[in-house]
Amino acid sequence: MAIRRFDREACTGCGNCVAACPMDVLRLDETDGKAVVKYPLDCIACWGCESFCPQGCFDVSPERARGELVSPY
Amino acid sequence: MKAVVPAPSVITTDVLVLGAGGAGMCAALRARESGADVLMIDKCGIGYNGQVPIGGGILAYVYPSYVDQWVEKVTRGSHFFNNQDWTRLFGSRMHQSTMDLAAMGLTFLRKSGDIDILTWGPDIHVTLFDAPKSLLALKRTAVSRGIRMMDKIFAVDLLKNGDQVVGAVGLGLVDGKVYLFNAKATIIATGNCGYMHEKTYASVLGEGPAMGYRAGAQLTNAEFNSLYVWGIKVLGKELMGIHFYLYLENALGEKIMGKYYPQLMEGEHAVYTFDPRVIHAMYEEVKAGRGPIYLNLQGLTEAEIAWCGDDIVPELTHIMANDTMLLLREKCGIDPSRERMEMWPRYLYSGGGLRIDLRGRTTLPGLWAAGGACNNCWSNGGGGQAGLGVQSAAITGFVAGEDAGAYARGAERLEIDRAYADDVLARVLEPLQRTGEVDPYEVTYRVHEAIVPMKYNRIREAGRMREALSILEDARERLSRVGVADFHDLARRHSAESMLMAAEFTYRAALLREESRAQHFREDFPERDDRKWLKWICIERREDGPALLTVPVPLRDYPLQPEWYRDQLQTQPHSDRQD
Repeated sequence: MAIRRFDREACTGCGNCVAACPMDVLRLDETDGKAVVKYPLDCIACWGCESFCPQGCFDVSPERARGELVSPY
Repeated sequence: MKAVVPAPSVITTDVLVLGAGGAGMCAALRARESGADVLMIDKCGIGYNGQVPIGGGILAYVYPSYVDQWVEKVTRGSHFFNNQDWTRLFGSRMHQSTMDLAAMGLTFLRKSGDIDILTWGPDIHVTLFDAPKSLLALKRTAVSRGIRMMDKIFAVDLLKNGDQVVGAVGLGLVDGKVYLFNAKATIIATGNCGYMHEKTYASVLGEGPAMGYRAGAQLTNAEFNSLYVWGIKVLGKELMGIHFYLYLENALGEKIMGKYYPQLMEGEHAVYTFDPRVIHAMYEEVKAGRGPIYLNLQGLTEAEIAWCGDDIVPELTHIMANDTMLLLREKCGIDPSRERMEMWPRYLYSGGGLRIDLRGRTTLPGLWAAGGACNNCWSNGGGGQAGLGVQSAAITGFVAGEDAGAYARGAERLEIDRAYADDVLARVLEPLQRTGEVDPYEVTYRVHEAIVPMKYNRIREAGRMREALSILEDARERLSRVGVADFHDLARRHSAESMLMAAEFTYRAALLREESRAQHFREDFPERDDRKWLKWICIERREDGPALLTVPVPLRDYPLQPEWYRDQLQTQPHSDRQD
């Protein structure tokens, strides 16, 4: 999981999500300029895109796309 | 051969700033004031990335009249381990830095028109600023002042001409181009190494210190500042808020903080997500078989839960990523007042960075560093004051920008040595020539296995650290088999290598330091050893690998000296610094 919903219709192509993503998961489509989830497996679910999207296009799950992490204990 | 890479594009500038977070912005803005042509590049989008927008918006502040006492407090707090020159410079510039940031467009919490300086403890002051919009505000100022910017460029290695750094190699993540940036002065401001274990500060993966090291610059303090934060396991994120510590309990339902720190249960205290006392209590309870640890807010009203957070300032912007209770409800379907939630420490980042002097210069000509990417030994004792990270980014940025700008005004730009560039490009692009046998994430996961467990990294011991280093050896072997298809994966591969290097340096320095000091705790050397270990450990690249050097803290040159050292000087006035 991670980006579990992206509302492409509502996307205006502002690029905030692309700029905010620390993992380079998102890009703007070359043809229509809207965001595309190009590398979904690399999403670490930081909620950067969801926080900075003015249109509310994203719903990001708590789990990272590649699953849980190494235990600190 | 899989991928065809176009011939590199050369872009020239006076001052090249790698990384456009808080430190990079401050460095670029200050360098521009000297009239230099400034180019800033970032692997993400400028204005949104870095650690500042997603942080808490806290800026440490020291009143000018309090600087002397502050320097003494930090120095004594660090047991004279700090670089006193830097501590003084840092303390004395905090007021001006705050005013400069306001003049450059940052929105501060104000009272009757003036920046509101809040008191958060005895002689502990902070200001609050609008973090999510802060870099956008600085970006607007930077654009208006003619600073050039390029988004989505992954800086991967430095370029040299002889001993001089003359720029950097960048991978265009979107356009697939290779860029050779040729500059008179290069400033690394790419942050420290966050290992992407804790998601809040996941953008910093150690690339800057790694490229500096490869080019020959010294790193320092790699064994310190390894930091864990505490958060709700299911969210995979630190818990922001200052009173939640009161509601931490073990599997038996016993409140844990009062067991170890009874003073925290009387009166009102602010205990932040990065407070090591909480991590200590969690670790001890789990070790004693009373884990896991939970946050139990059952029965609390919404107002009481909001009080635990107590970090919402209505005048400032708040983003979803920082609102833990909202995330719990909306993303996990958890009502925090109805069920207890398992807590986990998260590894936040490693310490250390490029060694800099009082002008922000690294040990390599032509190369400066600022923010988390550098280390100036002022810290390790300045703790207890929130917002030091952002203030350090600003001041090291201003210092480096000031000096690099002045340098660029008087210096000629040296051309890139093409043979050197060709060697760098061959190394950087090599994984594109192989089919993806190993994904870079496999390497990162192995690095996590070595750096995240507290048995290796928090409660350190020689045998266990060697075990961690052997995991890292395996990670390095896997790294040699990584093949990638495009620049996105190539950048992931190089970030994995940077994380691997940061982890190796942490353990090598921690093994050498046979004592316990600040957050560096050795189970096998539990005492602080001032007579032997008032030394900074620096790491430098040699032909046969990294060399670890020790540099005695120059106490003789400093105004504040420990009593035992003064006594020693009186009895042996001509003896050299302890060595």
